[in-house]
Amino acid sequence: MVIAGQVSGRAGRSGTVWGVVFASYVTAQAFGYTSAYRTQASRDALANAFGTNVGINALIGPARAINTAAGYTSWRALGVLSLLGAIWGLFTSTRLMRGEEESGRHELLLAGQTTRRRAGGQAIIGLAMGLVVLFVLTAVGTVGTGMTSSGGFSVGQGVYFSVALVGGAAEFLAIGALTSQLASTRRRAAAMGGAVFGVAYALRMVADSDPTLHWMVWISPLGWIEESRPLVAPHPLALLPVLLLVVAAVVVAMHLAGTRDLGAATFPGRDSSDPQLALVGSPAGLAVRLMRPLALGWLLAVAAFSVLIGTVAESAAKAISGSITIEQVLSRLGGHGSLVTAYLGLTFVLLASLIALVAAGQVVAIRTEEAEGRLENLLVRPVSRTSWFAGRLVLTTLLLVVAGVVGGIGAWVGAAGQHSGVGFGSLVAAGLNIVAPALFLLGLGALVLGSWPRHTSAVVYGYLAWSFLVEFLGAVVHANHWLLDTSVFFHMRPAPATRPDWVSVAVMAGFGMAGAVVGAACFSRRDVLGT
Amino acid sequence: MARPAVRTTGLSKRYRDVDALRDLDLEIEEGEIVGYLGPNGAGKTTTIRLLLGLIQPSAGRAEIFGLDCQRQPVEAHRRLAYVPGDCNLWPSLTGAETLHLLGRVQGRVDTAYRDELINRFELDPSRRVRAYSKGNRQKVLLIAALMTRPDLLLLDEPTSGLDPLMEQAFRHAIHEAREAGQTVLLSSHILSEVEALCDRVGILREGRLVEMGTLDEMRHLSTLTVEVVFDTAAPDLAGVAGVKRIVVEGRRVHIEVQGAIEPLIEALAGTGVRELLSREPSLEELFLAHYGPDGSAPVGTRNEQHRASANDRD
Repeated sequence: MVIAGQVSGRAGRSGTVWGVVFASYVTAQAFGYTSAYRTQASRDALANAFGTNVGINALIGPARAINTAAGYTSWRALGVLSLLGAIWGLFTSTRLMRGEEESGRHELLLAGQTTRRRAGGQAIIGLAMGLVVLFVLTAVGTVGTGMTSSGGFSVGQGVYFSVALVGGAAEFLAIGALTSQLASTRRRAAAMGGAVFGVAYALRMVADSDPTLHWMVWISPLGWIEESRPLVAPHPLALLPVLLLVVAAVVVAMHLAGTRDLGAATFPGRDSSDPQLALVGSPAGLAVRLMRPLALGWLLAVAAFSVLIGTVAESAAKAISGSITIEQVLSRLGGHGSLVTAYLGLTFVLLASLIALVAAGQVVAIRTEEAEGRLENLLVRPVSRTSWFAGRLVLTTLLLVVAGVVGGIGAWVGAAGQHSGVGFGSLVAAGLNIVAPALFLLGLGALVLGSWPRHTSAVVYGYLAWSFLVEFLGAVVHANHWLLDTSVFFHMRPAPATRPDWVSVAVMAGFGMAGAVVGAACFSRRDVLGT
Repeated sequence: MARPAVRTTGLSKRYRDVDALRDLDLEIEEGEIVGYLGPNGAGKTTTIRLLLGLIQPSAGRAEIFGLDCQRQPVEAHRRLAYVPGDCNLWPSLTGAETLHLLGRVQGRVDTAYRDELINRFELDPSRRVRAYSKGNRQKVLLIAALMTRPDLLLLDEPTSGLDPLMEQAFRHAIHEAREAGQTVLLSSHILSEVEALCDRVGILREGRLVEMGTLDEMRHLSTLTVEVVFDTAAPDLAGVAGVKRIVVEGRRVHIEVQGAIEPLIEALAGTGVRELLSREPSLEELFLAHYGPDGSAPVGTRNEQHRASANDRD
């Protein structure tokens, strides 16, 4: 059970982080709703506005009974967390199954007294343990919220709600386990699963945007979860196909694991190709080539997300017009700016988190290059450590700035399509504004990489998750400003609702730069360290 | 006077409470081929990583052609090439792309020699690294190192994944390096390889260099095994100068002698010797002598030494 132990350890750690995020998100939705919409009239207005909002309904599912706290919480949490959970499940299972096999670590374990089928089964048990951790933490937060006056739902309803919330994670853990058998690399396995996710999401979007096509919700794995309708009109039978999908994917994955060779795949990739020498002439070129597929994927995600928020901004702004929170935000910002820019300002925080996630991913990629020994091939040649390190950081900075600009332009494209009248310049400026937290995180990551390399991933992702949490909770609870100050997102002005504060942008970027300089100095003086 | 290719003085590396390398004084002249022996964890890789500047010494210093390995790594690296035992390459690159990259980064490549090496090592450079076996990855790194014709080759168990035919190709390439006047530091587990290729051999034990010299010197310092069969009962040879150990099996006697053998020959005169066999110790025996059962037993019968080595492998 060595593999099961290892996989469950890693999946459990990741499940813990996301379980806390899930639980906090549910709590934040319920409390945010009751504090923002205090009167029944404002709640009914909200329900009316969102009931007719096709854009938002397509994005996170139809709003049902959102004139109650439970209905609103169910809609928002299920809409967002089932998607997040699906992405988490896909990345976790492909990383821990195909990724581990690709790196050769499973080879050592398999040389022991384990068959391939059993090894596959053990990895799946490990993933299931990660899912259990995610579920338990989510359920604690959900049931706890239900017991308060803000939530107001029973323990049984809370548990059912939690099952639905982690349904997407369960589906895509299983799908990732299956694609890990089909594809020969982690990246390809994730791409295959990503395609399944894309199709499922697109089908559900179509189903939710046109009532005559609503039956299509039943052919999408994400649609089943939407149809479980927790807290509003529970429909447990909708979760039956989820269970069947998980069981079928696991059975097929186990069968394939037992019939193939270690390292092989049902659909092997091309193992030879003509040399592409354009980029492999220097360390920087190599970095571009290694970063390229992932960077393009992220830029596409940022573009898609920003076009979407730009498109729904106009109608969403109308919907939130009754919210006390929005009015408070607007007054805090000095009252200028429209509701549309206020909505965009609030949602750009999500875009900022996405770009910060890109920064974190790149820092971890730099560390992985060192930890897995590939960096040594360059450092034993006439390549200075400082210049290599600086090169990677400059490239990442460029990627982040481009992502910010793409985000700004994407939101403008979406908003212009709806004639929202938000200026191009102010949205590009807003796009640049959200790069600042990512640059700060990049600098922090560089500092940790230089001085405490084996903890790079934990510190970077841990700090990012912490900042998310503080930002979520800070919007709801009247938290101490010392606590709020610890979140990197708190120091970012909500452009385009307000003008970016270029001084604070410069300060964040400056701290990032300082971290990078100190990190580079430490990196060039310390031992090159493996895992 | 030419600077030595490698010089370390008091070089030490300590990890928490483990001394990976203690007080190493090593000098390798230009053009020398030096073997570096020791079991896993003896400090071979630590030495090479210190020479490459990948890790910082706890004490002492290391130079390559007079260049400080810590302060001038880039200059030092222009003159050397390194082949690691673990082959961690970029899985998405093909062999050809990898060789192109590593050549460009090094700044000089003998392309004709590279193509010849690709042929000799029978490498298919169009395949992706992901699809290569360990042996093939090792070939990529060997070719990448040799094709730059460096002044110094640092090889850390470079043949652990190669088959015997490729091992021959490797030895051939090292002979070529010797003829071209290149310097080689070869860390290896394959004693026959070191015996065949190296001018001098260093033996490491628990982070200390316990032996350094040519094979002849090492043989001279070590014991010689003499096997004598007598016509009659064996005489008492215990008091003879140089005799370290005697094992009597009836009329057959195993004697280990250190230093000059003349006193033994004189003592044997007129004792009815029927057969006399004397053998120089192989490198394996020299090596194993440093890892005897009690840790440092340079004296012991061959059988005992072999038993000890069998235990080590378990």
